[in-house]
Amino acid sequence: MLNVSHVRKQYSTVLAVDDVSLTVQRGQILGLLGPNGAGKTTTIRMILNIIRPDAGMITFDGKLFDETIRNNWGYLPEERGLYRKSTLLNTILYFASLKGMEKNEAKRRAYDWLKRFDLLNCFNQPVEALSKGNQQKVQFIISILHQPHLVILDEPFSGLDPLNQILLKDILMELKHQERAIIFSTHQMDQAEKLCDILCLISKGRVVLDGEVAAVKNRYGNNTVHLEYDGDGSFLKMLASIKTAHIYENFAELILEDHSSPSDVLREIAQKVDVKKFEMSQPSLNAIFLALVGNPGPTEKTTEVTQ
Amino acid sequence: MTKAFVVARWEYFEKIKSKAFLISLFLTPALMVAMSVLPALLASRADTESKVIGIIDQSGEVATPLSKILEERFKLPDGEPNYILQPIGQASDLSAGKRIADSLVLAESMEGYVVVGKSVMTDSIVEYRSENIGNIRVTENINSALRDLIVEKKLTAQGIDPKIVKDLTKPIDLKTIKLAKSGKEEESGFGQVFFTAYIFMMIMFVLILTSGQILVRSMLEEKSNRVVEILMSSCSARELMTGKILGLSGLGLTQMSFWVLMGLLLKLKLAIPMIPVGSLLLILLYIILGYVLYAAIFVAAGSPVSTEQEAQQITSYLVMILVIPIVFAFTVTQNPNTTLVKVLSFIPLLSPSMMIMRIPNQMPSVEEIVLTLILVALTAVAFMWVAGKVFRTTILMYGKRPSLKELLVLIRAA
Repeated sequence: MLNVSHVRKQYSTVLAVDDVSLTVQRGQILGLLGPNGAGKTTTIRMILNIIRPDAGMITFDGKLFDETIRNNWGYLPEERGLYRKSTLLNTILYFASLKGMEKNEAKRRAYDWLKRFDLLNCFNQPVEALSKGNQQKVQFIISILHQPHLVILDEPFSGLDPLNQILLKDILMELKHQERAIIFSTHQMDQAEKLCDILCLISKGRVVLDGEVAAVKNRYGNNTVHLEYDGDGSFLKMLASIKTAHIYENFAELILEDHSSPSDVLREIAQKVDVKKFEMSQPSLNAIFLALVGNPGPTEKTTEVTQ
Repeated sequence: MTKAFVVARWEYFEKIKSKAFLISLFLTPALMVAMSVLPALLASRADTESKVIGIIDQSGEVATPLSKILEERFKLPDGEPNYILQPIGQASDLSAGKRIADSLVLAESMEGYVVVGKSVMTDSIVEYRSENIGNIRVTENINSALRDLIVEKKLTAQGIDPKIVKDLTKPIDLKTIKLAKSGKEEESGFGQVFFTAYIFMMIMFVLILTSGQILVRSMLEEKSNRVVEILMSSCSARELMTGKILGLSGLGLTQMSFWVLMGLLLKLKLAIPMIPVGSLLLILLYIILGYVLYAAIFVAAGSPVSTEQEAQQITSYLVMILVIPIVFAFTVTQNPNTTLVKVLSFIPLLSPSMMIMRIPNQMPSVEEIVLTLILVALTAVAFMWVAGKVFRTTILMYGKRPSLKELLVLIRAA
């Protein structure tokens, strides 16, 4: 469906995107990951022809961009907002008509979606009367109402309550099964881990990791330990047998040194704290992310990168 | 290009409901009427009650005939005399008379009073004393009555027939007739010509300013709520810009038609019936060109803006350029043929308003009209082109406004 090859974008002095390539097929979800300022949004904007790459090529089903392709993609920008004074339905219909949708069809689908998102009773209210989360739902509706083949969602989950996150996840899976290509960028690695088929991790404008999620995890080996314990775990990062430790409250993800044996490590740890669970596993995406884009410090309570 | 129309339709129907538009729609004509018609109306409004004017006549010859003249000439709408002349005190004791008169004026039972000296027939000096000497109508009327009276008396004293005197002293009624190139003549004065030119210029200003402001504001809103990203992913920058300008032009036209209609309904025969249809169409052409020209400027100036303050700043700079021609309004009406006026007419940004002021006054030569029209049209096209570039490159910029140098680099790169 979408093929981005070796694109590059320079802003006066900053090289925002350097030689990024990625491919998404129909029925696939690609997770575009990376720290703030990595070049995710710039990449997305180049795909959407909002800005032009300095070098490289972007094709859709093998064809270069032309104006008709615009009707075939949907976009949810990272920072959200809508026309405050306009009513919900009018706003949705406006963007639908910009995508070349016929009005009655657009209206019918808009009602369906509003109903699904539990917003039907406020279709005639101005957008500003809605809560932030509800506005986000409206924006999401706008991005998929015209049934685009390519859906690009920038941080779709942020700002939604758990219930709506589940609803959104269900819809994404439906879209995937309708053979649409989906790109979504996120900072929440667990989200990406559960939803994505393929990954593309960008840091400082370059792709540092890509491929299918399972393959990526395999590549990072099996020397990861998930540990649950009671007690003070701060000593973990001092152990010689542990390469890296991400320590949370009563939970730690440890990456062992290549030579060290898990049972030795367990014995060592058990002397200091009360071990509840000790599990060898593949590394989480979070750990891979941190290993690749720079470790912000092993004792940080939360490693989720927030805006 | 159909997407441009989708944008235009949205801009038109959403903005027509906006407060800014409704306010300008109703407030502007109200303000224009208030500013131009009301002062004139108030100043020329007839008195409704007779005014008492005192007189201390030391010559003994003035009071009675003056009273007669005032009574004949100036009547209230209901037929009562406008001024009642009231002799005060003894002619022999001037200071006592003045004291009485002063107290009457201060007590507001008298508008003012006239002191006629003994030697009025030789030195023609008369004093008018009042609390309110700014009332030009009163002083003007008393002045003219006195002048006529004294001239008449002097001439009669020379032994001239009072009938001839009356004929000789008949005041001159100066009628000003405006000659048009076609040879038609019409009665109109400086005030009317000035007013016509002014009204059309004002219409253009208000159109440009309201739409300009709405445009900058809407771009600012789309920018701050990031809707612009969805828009830019849905249609090209050119379609978006074209749509916005089309929608706003629609708003401008609606505004103008509404005002014309309102003017006709109120039978406020403002300037429109006073000028020939040809001139009117030409003026409208200049208004439209000027509108497009400034719309392009507003797009270019407004797209890099990302805060309300910047928007205000930009608009006020543009307003300053826009109002420069007002400074020349008087010159143009008085001397439409000076080199200065002609040169100013060829500066694209000023050209539309200069020509709008000149046309009702004295039709500029055909060459001038054709050249300025071409000039303004070309400039508008060039500005649109630049605006498109600036729009595309800066509409996604947030935060710091680019310097002019950065902007030039960006435009070249786009």
